[in-house]
Amino acid sequence: MDRSAPLLPVDDDRDTGGFFEAARRRELVVRACSSCGTILHVPRAHCHTCGSWEGEWRRVRGTGALHSWTVVDHQVHPGYPVPYTIVLVDVDDAPGVRMVGHLPGSLDLRDGLPMRVRFDEVGDGVVLPQWEPAD
Amino acid sequence: MRDDETFHHRDRCAISGIGWTDFSRDSGRSDLTLATQASLTAIADAGLAPAHIDGIVRCDMDLVRPNDLVDALGLTRLDYFGDAGPGGVAPCGQVAQAVAAVISGQATNVLVYRSLNGRSGRRYGLSSVTAARVGGNGTYDEFFLPYGLLTPGQIFGLIAQRHMIEFGTTEKDLGAIAIACRNRANANPQAQMHDRTLTMDDYLAARMIARPLRLFDFCLETDGAAALVVTSTERAHDAPNPPALIRAVAQGSLPHPQPGIQFPVVLRDRITTLPAKPTAETLYRRAGLGPSDIDVAQLYDCFTITVLLQLEDFGFCAKGDGGAFVSSGAIELGGTLPINTGGGHLSEGYIHGMNHIVEGVRQIRGTSSNQVEGAETCLVTNTPLPPGSALILRRDS
Repeated sequence: MDRSAPLLPVDDDRDTGGFFEAARRRELVVRACSSCGTILHVPRAHCHTCGSWEGEWRRVRGTGALHSWTVVDHQVHPGYPVPYTIVLVDVDDAPGVRMVGHLPGSLDLRDGLPMRVRFDEVGDGVVLPQWEPAD
Repeated sequence: MRDDETFHHRDRCAISGIGWTDFSRDSGRSDLTLATQASLTAIADAGLAPAHIDGIVRCDMDLVRPNDLVDALGLTRLDYFGDAGPGGVAPCGQVAQAVAAVISGQATNVLVYRSLNGRSGRRYGLSSVTAARVGGNGTYDEFFLPYGLLTPGQIFGLIAQRHMIEFGTTEKDLGAIAIACRNRANANPQAQMHDRTLTMDDYLAARMIARPLRLFDFCLETDGAAALVVTSTERAHDAPNPPALIRAVAQGSLPHPQPGIQFPVVLRDRITTLPAKPTAETLYRRAGLGPSDIDVAQLYDCFTITVLLQLEDFGFCAKGDGGAFVSSGAIELGGTLPINTGGGHLSEGYIHGMNHIVEGVRQIRGTSSNQVEGAETCLVTNTPLPPGSALILRRDS
């Protein structure tokens, strides 16, 4: 493998593969219980609220608000040159769902900053939902 | 909720022996050799011979297995062995298992150990990923590693930033924790940072690693080992050193902790609270004690922010007041709650939580290089990320 390339996710896991399958269609989805609607992110099969095993992939809008961030100045992997910024985003229309994003460089950010999803082809047919400031 | 009278362990077991190796950046020895050396020291300190050890509890990340030590130490039998984890969450949970083994009659003298070449061997601060694809099979790494979220330090950078947003915590607050630990290490001859002082100017001038965390917000990387002998309080009274009674032990997890070992914790509702909170509630209830009864504390310090969060979650100050608490001098020697009196992971060495228990025993015996006068109770925590473990040691009255 190319050690200087960014890491590719396993995108065909039994529980989580649907998230990456949707990303290939440029759709952002979360796993939700078909019975009571509880959102199960990161994706799991069993609903801890109502006990149902019936789940579905629910499409969400792809906007959110910045919850926290860290600018990484110390490099630990050749595929991720510094500085870069890791963001935590609270997804607007999926209560309780938070996602991680990667932005190159060191950005001037603030709590609650509006964010939007972007779909990046990262190689080998994998599409990664990414998050960036909305404007 | 389970009635604690059905599992009453208060003061019934004690730590009768402690041992440790030198703490260095390059031990030149194998993990097994380090574990053997620390264990032999702890067994001798307890006034025992290896043949008296009949139980062993390992940390799940240790490369040394119980059976390796049976052979290396020359034990004649092994009636009980177990694992606790994950990683830095293990040590107080290892002691908890040892207590359970002793009280249930499955063992009489239980060896608890942690050994690692944390600098010259596998370095936890580096991304160790070598696979072509990451994640899957319940690790959930696929949602984190591809985004460059690769290390615990980056997780705690995100948590520290959020604590600053919510509560106005400052970089100098975090610096106060680093400096308190360094001050203790400067008086502890075995500490890796014994000879190096740290001022607030030094702290603020250090390079950033994962903002707002700097070099001195990060623990050391250490080659070394530490070990304990856990036995019944009755038997501990026959040992050469004063017993450190195990007042109570506890493990705990948050509700909806998110799966996986570490990265999914950043998806929890409130990332500024740790499993320290439920662990503390269980521990205090079992001990019949509260935060005001604690004389000295050894708080798991993989990062400075981790200490600040645990001070809040263990009830030494309100949630959000950790910054003011540490900057008040409360955590220094002579303050209301001296912490990490050996120097902690930030400045003594990183033996993944185990050297905190060793230092806790030294405080109870009255032999710490930073002795808190009249210390009768010591809290030890291993509650960095879900789940967690903790214990309270007490001087025999």
